[in-house]
Amino acid sequence: MTGDPSSTAAEHRGPLRASVADYVARGTDLARVRRLRGTSTEYERTAWQKMAELGWLGILVPERYGGLGLGLAEMAIVARGLARALVPEPLTATAVLAATALAAAENEPLKREQLPRLAAGDVLPALAWQEEAGELDPAAIETRATPFEGGFKLNGVKRFIAGAAQADAFIVSARAAGGVVLLWLPRDAAGAQLELEPLADGRSFATLRLDDTLVPRSGVAASGAAALEALGRAFDHGCAIAGAELAGVMERSLEMSLDYLKTRVQFGKPIGSFQALQHRAVDLHIHQELASAVLEEALGVLDRGPAAPARAAAASRVKARCADAAARITREAIQLHGAIGFTDEFDAGLYLKRALVLTAWLGSASWHRRRYARLVSGALA
Amino acid sequence: MNPSIASPDYNAMSDEDFRREVRAFFEREYPPRLRYILHRARWHDMKDWWRKLYEKGWIAPNWPRERGGMALDAGKMVIYLEEMERHGVARPPDQGITQVGPLIMRFGTREQQEHYLPRTLSGEYIWCQGYSEPNAGSDLAGLQTAAVLEGEHFVVNGQKIWTSLADDATHIYLLVRTGKGAKKQQGISFLLVDLKTPGITLRPIRNLAGHEEFCQVFFDDVRVPRANLVGELDDGWTVAKALLGFERLSIGSPRRPAYALNRLEAVARAKGLLEDPGFLDRFIALKLDIEDGAALYGRFVEQVKRGEPLGPDVSMLKIWTMETWQRLTDLLIEAGAEQGVVAGVHDVAGVEADFLTPFYYARPATIYGGSSEIQRNILAKTVLKLPG
Repeated sequence: MTGDPSSTAAEHRGPLRASVADYVARGTDLARVRRLRGTSTEYERTAWQKMAELGWLGILVPERYGGLGLGLAEMAIVARGLARALVPEPLTATAVLAATALAAAENEPLKREQLPRLAAGDVLPALAWQEEAGELDPAAIETRATPFEGGFKLNGVKRFIAGAAQADAFIVSARAAGGVVLLWLPRDAAGAQLELEPLADGRSFATLRLDDTLVPRSGVAASGAAALEALGRAFDHGCAIAGAELAGVMERSLEMSLDYLKTRVQFGKPIGSFQALQHRAVDLHIHQELASAVLEEALGVLDRGPAAPARAAAASRVKARCADAAARITREAIQLHGAIGFTDEFDAGLYLKRALVLTAWLGSASWHRRRYARLVSGALA
Repeated sequence: MNPSIASPDYNAMSDEDFRREVRAFFEREYPPRLRYILHRARWHDMKDWWRKLYEKGWIAPNWPRERGGMALDAGKMVIYLEEMERHGVARPPDQGITQVGPLIMRFGTREQQEHYLPRTLSGEYIWCQGYSEPNAGSDLAGLQTAAVLEGEHFVVNGQKIWTSLADDATHIYLLVRTGKGAKKQQGISFLLVDLKTPGITLRPIRNLAGHEEFCQVFFDDVRVPRANLVGELDDGWTVAKALLGFERLSIGSPRRPAYALNRLEAVARAKGLLEDPGFLDRFIALKLDIEDGAALYGRFVEQVKRGEPLGPDVSMLKIWTMETWQRLTDLLIEAGAEQGVVAGVHDVAGVEADFLTPFYYARPATIYGGSSEIQRNILAKTVLKLPG
C-alpha cells in the first residue's frame, strides 16, 4: 500500500489544500520563478526547507521513517497547487521519485538514515535512472556495477536527471552481474561528474558521468527484483504526480486565457463575446475537466496499491491525458492572447514552457498510450 | 390498470442487490434478438417487452410508486440505466414515460393526470414529441405552429418535423405559439394532442441509414380541446424546460459508443490492424477518449447520487461522448476498407460487424438534444461566464 486511503488520509486534504493555497499566495510568486530560471542553483533551499516544515516532503514517506505516510491523492494536492504558481523546487523529482524508490528499497539502515532527512529537507536526493532519450524501461541500463570490496564500482552515464541542480545525493540504477542494483551515491563521490542541460522552463536536466565511482555495501539500497520494483513504482508514481502538476499548470493557464477573453476589447467588444473564441475556450475547458476527472480516478486506483500492471495502466492514463490537455491549453493560450502571448514578459509563455517540460519528462503522451495499449491487452501491441 | 402489487421500496435495497436483481431480470426476460439493436426500436418490436415491464411494475423507473412507477432515486436510476446499456436493452418508444408523464405529474390538472398517466403507463398511449419545426431547430423558441383559442378548442395550424417514431405514436405533445411576448420564449403553450384528430397528416422521412424513424407532422385546422393545455396559457416554455438535466447525463453516457468500440477492436484484431503502429495509435487514443470520458461521466453520476442537481456543465459530457462516438465510427468505416461502405452485417475473418449503421447513427448525435454548437454556447455563457 502506498498510503492510507481511509478517512484519516482524507482528513489531511482540506488542511493540505489550505496550506498550499496560503503558500502560493504568500510564499512564492512569478517574480521569484523568473529570477531563478536559467541559474545554476535553479531553486531555493530556503523554499525547500519551508516545504519540509509544512510536511509536504514527507507525504509519501512512511511514518516510521519520519514522514506522514499519506497517499498520492494528498501529494497530488500539493503538486497541483504548487504547479499553478510554477514553483521551481523539485517536489516530484525528490519527494515522489526519489522518496518512492527509497521507501521501496530493502536496505533498512539506509532508509532509517536517509528517509527522515529527506522528509526534513536535510538531504535532497535525485533519482538517476534513465540513460537514453525516449527509453523509459527502468531495466534498460548500460551503467555497470562491478563488485569492489563488498560494494560496487560504477561506470556509465545517467541522463535527464530532474532536480539535480542542488541535489546532495543520487539514487543510481546500475546493472550488476546478479541483476539491477539501486545505489545511494553522495553528490561529492569521487569519479562522479555532473553537467546541467538547460530546459525550456528555466530548470535543468543533469547528466551524471560515473568513472570508477565507488559505492560501499552500506550504499546498496536494493538489488534484483526489489530494485526493479522500486524503480517501476517510483516511475509510475512520478507519472501520476507529474500529471497533477500538469493539471495545475493547465488550470492556471486557462484561467489567464479566460480573464483575457473577458477583458480584451477589439471591434468595440470583449473578444470573449465572439463565438469562434467561445467555442475554443469551451473545448479547452472540456479537456481540462477530462484530465482532472482521469487524474482523480487514477489517484484513487493507485492509492489502493494495485499490482504492477494495473498501477502502470493508471499512471499512463493520467500522464497521457494530462500531457495532451496541458499541451493544448498552454499552446492555445498563446494564440488567444495574440502578440502579447509571444512576449517573454507576459506569463502565458512560462506556463507553456513548464507544460513542455512536464510533457516530455517521464514519457510523452503517445509513449504512455502505447504502454497502456500493451497493458490492457497483451494482443494489442 | 397497473397490476395492483405495491412495488417494493427499491431504494431501501443495497446497490449490489438492486443491480443483481435488475441484471437477472434483463438476462432472463429480454428478447435476445433485440439486444444491441443499432436503430431506434419500433413499437411492434418492443410491445411485448413493454408488457413484461409493465406487469412487473418496471416500465416507469422514474415515476412515483403511487403512479405505478419504481420511484428510483438518482443512484438506483443510474444503476437501472447502466444495466440496460450493459445488456443491450433497447429503449422502447418511451417518451411518455421519460418526458410527458413527469410533466403531466408536475404541471397537469387532476383530470389530465387521471386520464393520461395510467394509459401512458400501460402502453395504450404512445407519445411522440412535437417541438422542432422547419424553421425552429436549435432556435426552438422561434417556433411558429399556431394555436388559436376558439371557444373551448384550440385550432392548431402549422408543422412539426424530426418527430421521432411519430408513426408508432398515438399522441403527440406539442409546443405551439398562442401569443406574442416581449421575448420569443413567451407566448408558447404546451398541448396534448390525439394523433387521430382530424387534420393531422404524417409524412415519414427516410434518414441516412435508410430507416423511416422520424416524421413530418402537418396540422391543418386541428381542433384540440382546451382541457388539453398543460400548465398556464403562454407559459409552455417553463413546462418544456423542466425536463433537462438528467436527460443530458444519460445522453452523454460513455456506453452509447460501446458497440462501435467493441466492433472496432474485434475487426481490427481479426484483420491484424493493431500491428500497424499508425492504426494502433489512433485506436488507443480513441479507446482512452472513451474511457477517460467515462471518468468524467462518473463524476456527474456521483453528483446525482449525492442528490445534487446537475448544472449546465453536464453539457460537456454530451459534446465529448458524441464527438468521440463519431470519430470512433469514422475509424470503423476506415477499418472496414471496401467492406466498410457495403451495407449490412459482414463476416470479417469470423467477426460480425455492421460498419455503416453505427457510422450513420453517430451523425445526428451531435445535432439532436441540442447540437454541439448550442451546447458550447451554453457552456461558454453559463460555465465560463464569457460575455454574450
